Amino acid sequence: MSSSELLQFVVSGLQNGAVYALVALGFTLVYASTGIINFAQGEFFMLGGVLAVAGVRFGLPLPLAVVASVLVSAGIGVALERFALRPRRDSGGLVLIIITIGASMVLKSLARHIFGPNEMALPAFTPGPPVIIGGAAIDPQVLWIWGLTFVVVVALTLVYAKTKLGRAMRACSLSHDAARLMGVDTAGVVMLSFGLAAALGALGGAVVAPLTQTAFDVGARAGIKGFAAAILGGLGSPVAAVVGGLLLGVLESLSVGFLSSTYKDVISLVVLLAVLFLRPQGLFGRAGKEKV
Amino acid sequence: MNTQFKMVVAVLAALLIAVTGVGCSGSGSGESTGDVAEPYRIGAVVSLTGTYAGLGTPEKNAIEMEMKRLNDAGGVNGRQVEVIFEDDATDPAKAQAAVARLIEQEDVIAIIGATGTGQTMALRDDIDRAAIPQVSMAGGSVITAEFDELVFQTPWPNRTVVPFTLRQLKERGLTNVAVISDTGGYGKDGHDIIVAQAAAAGVKIIADETFNPGDTDMMAQLTKIKSASPDVVLMWNAGKEAAIVAKNLKQLGMDVPLVGSPGNGRREFIEGAADAAEGFQFAAGKILVPEAYGVDTPAYDVATAFISDYTKAYDVAPDIFAGHAYDAFLVVTDALSRIEGDATPAALRDAIEQTSGLVGIGGTFTYGPQDHNGLTEADLVFYRVEGNEWVLAK
Amino acid sequence: MSARYGLDRAIARVAPVLIVALVAAVPLLTDDRYLFKVLTFVGLNVIVVTGLALLFGYAGQISLGHAAFFGIGAYSVGYLTATRALPWLAAVAIGVALASVVGLLLSLPMLRLKGHYLAMATLAFSEILGVFFVEASAITGGNDGLRGIPFPSVGPFKIATPGASYLLVWGVAIIVVVLASNLVRTRPGRALRAVHGTELGAQACGIDTGRLRVQVFTLSAGLAGLAGALYAGVVGFVSPTTFSLEFSVLLVAMVVLGGTGSITGPVVACVALTLLPYIDALVPGLPRDAVAFLQDWEADISGIVMIGVLLFAPGGVAGMLRRSRRAGDAS
Repeated sequence: MSSSELLQFVVSGLQNGAVYALVALGFTLVYASTGIINFAQGEFFMLGGVLAVAGVRFGLPLPLAVVASVLVSAGIGVALERFALRPRRDSGGLVLIIITIGASMVLKSLARHIFGPNEMALPAFTPGPPVIIGGAAIDPQVLWIWGLTFVVVVALTLVYAKTKLGRAMRACSLSHDAARLMGVDTAGVVMLSFGLAAALGALGGAVVAPLTQTAFDVGARAGIKGFAAAILGGLGSPVAAVVGGLLLGVLESLSVGFLSSTYKDVISLVVLLAVLFLRPQGLFGRAGKEKV
Repeated sequence: MNTQFKMVVAVLAALLIAVTGVGCSGSGSGESTGDVAEPYRIGAVVSLTGTYAGLGTPEKNAIEMEMKRLNDAGGVNGRQVEVIFEDDATDPAKAQAAVARLIEQEDVIAIIGATGTGQTMALRDDIDRAAIPQVSMAGGSVITAEFDELVFQTPWPNRTVVPFTLRQLKERGLTNVAVISDTGGYGKDGHDIIVAQAAAAGVKIIADETFNPGDTDMMAQLTKIKSASPDVVLMWNAGKEAAIVAKNLKQLGMDVPLVGSPGNGRREFIEGAADAAEGFQFAAGKILVPEAYGVDTPAYDVATAFISDYTKAYDVAPDIFAGHAYDAFLVVTDALSRIEGDATPAALRDAIEQTSGLVGIGGTFTYGPQDHNGLTEADLVFYRVEGNEWVLAK
Repeated sequence: MSARYGLDRAIARVAPVLIVALVAAVPLLTDDRYLFKVLTFVGLNVIVVTGLALLFGYAGQISLGHAAFFGIGAYSVGYLTATRALPWLAAVAIGVALASVVGLLLSLPMLRLKGHYLAMATLAFSEILGVFFVEASAITGGNDGLRGIPFPSVGPFKIATPGASYLLVWGVAIIVVVLASNLVRTRPGRALRAVHGTELGAQACGIDTGRLRVQVFTLSAGLAGLAGALYAGVVGFVSPTTFSLEFSVLLVAMVVLGGTGSITGPVVACVALTLLPYIDALVPGLPRDAVAFLQDWEADISGIVMIGVLLFAPGGVAGMLRRSRRAGDAS
């Protein structure tokens, strides 16, 4: 195996991994503020791509269509939290999780009613030939994926670490009661985290659509991969989610390269299970967080 | 007696009434036969939701359109034709429940469907027990390879298309073949036939990669294929992943030809792959370029009429799946028109088997006691994508 | 406590007689094979959901992988009876045992996992098995599926009609539900609830919570395997798309909609959600357009029902039943 081939596997893995990371970030944000897994997260990935295509078909310029799709998705995320989850905030995690499952069924099915069952294409953000680095080909769209993921992670990390809002979010992830006593608007933080998670998922869906096309049914797979990446990272910080995503992507790609393309998903899931059994809290999760 | 006990009783009583009601209506519908004005009732099991929604929807559209056209023109033998659709949600168990309903409650004389191979196979026990003919719109080889005298199919099965495609490769001198296929039913079926027939066709498989339905990136597989330096990449799948393979191939700077399957004869492939679709080649029936039938043939007239009707009705040109459905409906109604006397399911089955020289969209159908595919390699042509359009490859 | 679980107790006392009478009465009232098929699917789901209700409602564990155990049971019976010509009963026993053993082996390392990590592990297991079902085509028939599975038979008795299949499945389902309702009232059952309540408290009372978790997971896996084993015989066709994550998720939804700490609630929710797409089996004379509309919008309706029930009745079906009981007591 030549070094350029190896590099190509890594590039391909990092490309998929960055998309997994964006979805995983959404899972992590919602988990941090509410302690639940948002099963509708994958559907926001779907919405991002599908709404961007709809925007372009409606006549919006591409950048505007992408921004609009991310904003609309964020709005739907906020509405989901405000109207379907907040009223039942005290009912425990499982009830909230099933509500998000119900929401994902509705979102997916509505998308099929509105946009039809066929796949749809989105134009490349910046058309052009692939960039060749060290013998590995990188599509300009892949640079967009990496660039936007990087910007998002840096921005989120800064917000988490430096701003009042970030402190409020971290406080909520530790204890809602304590955060409220400290004067944090916990309801606002939760709503914001849902909006942000939806926006990140939608961004992932929109930025990858020029490479992969999109359709009403792409959410489930994105959700599984993002969930796996978030769990691998340990549901902790934004950085953990991104590392989990990139790791999962590279793992799959190297499985194809060195073992078998048929079993690439099995291989990455077995590794995930092994990690979980050895480190039940994920790679970067804190052990012993269980509340007594 | 407490309230909750009363509630349980009430619920059970309600259920009992509902169940009894069904019993009555079930026995009622069974008695309504013998009336000459009664329409012929045909059941259709299609996937309108789930994975194959994109295939089942045009199928239903095509059948509904043709049913209306036929009935407006007076129906068959002076009787109207009524097609009752059931959605199997791309689930074999649901397909089975659907066919049971069509047989039990609708008293149909034939089943069109299903959309997918797995769903088609799931119907077989019920079809056999009810002894009514089935015309499938799915392309899996297993459907007619596991022969059943009641079951017919309209698409070209892979065991017809693959040898044709391999011969095209050989004729073009593309003998070192890299295969990439999906692990779904259609891809795996095609893959296994490619592997089995390669040697006989005089081509050599030098790389063999797969991907899963739903995968969004095949760079890693194609990187491996690239290192094997093939003359041609042969891709077998029917889903949206085909466009990704075409794009990834281009990104890797590979200028070997990409050859696909009839499942790639979809507008969405050209739109999705954009300029990477240029030069893409595949075998399929003649509907994509009706001139291939020969402009002065009946087939040309049938195809152009279908294309223009369908485009008028649904604002989009029909794809090959709409064509398979058109053919299935045509096969059944043509057979009905040839039956003298009572149109029993057994008579209909015999009439379908006697279909000969029936001009449809997929080709000219001639079924026989051993052949329930009806099509041959003569119904296939080789296409090439040029300027975002399909043209005949020479 | 007695108010909360009294419901199950009361129902356990009166319902079996009524339900057995009703189940037995259906074949006398109708010979509609479609209705039998639909009710058979309902019965199969009831068996899986009962196991999941024990797992969730009483042990507080989540599984997104039970479709895979269902698949193990189905493929075992399919392969052993169709290809190996084993007697049906033996094949069912092997299928259930295999699902239980796999459940046991999976639950041992999973003891260390909690909450969402556990959910991910079961999901991963289910996805891995999904690939196995497709790739091990010598056993499973791959994507084409496994066909020609003989009808269930015990000695000279063959269960070959949809009516008989329906009685078989519902007979098993009723036994499973009754045993589960009894189980939760015994000492292990109380221990189960303790695990869900506070694990430390349960441990303080001398209950080996780890062992209990393994036992209940194995039991629920075995029940899913049992449902799958029955499925293979009565449907006669097994293919990989049936055992999807979507199916696992729907099963979980049924349990939560039913309400925790109850067997009756999840079973009622299971019956309702399974019947939804087949509503035309129960409401005769429904216009065809209405049926087509319902099928087209099934996912939307299920989703909205799920959200609606949990929004307005977070205790699920069990909560509703309890409330109406309390209202009745007050009057």
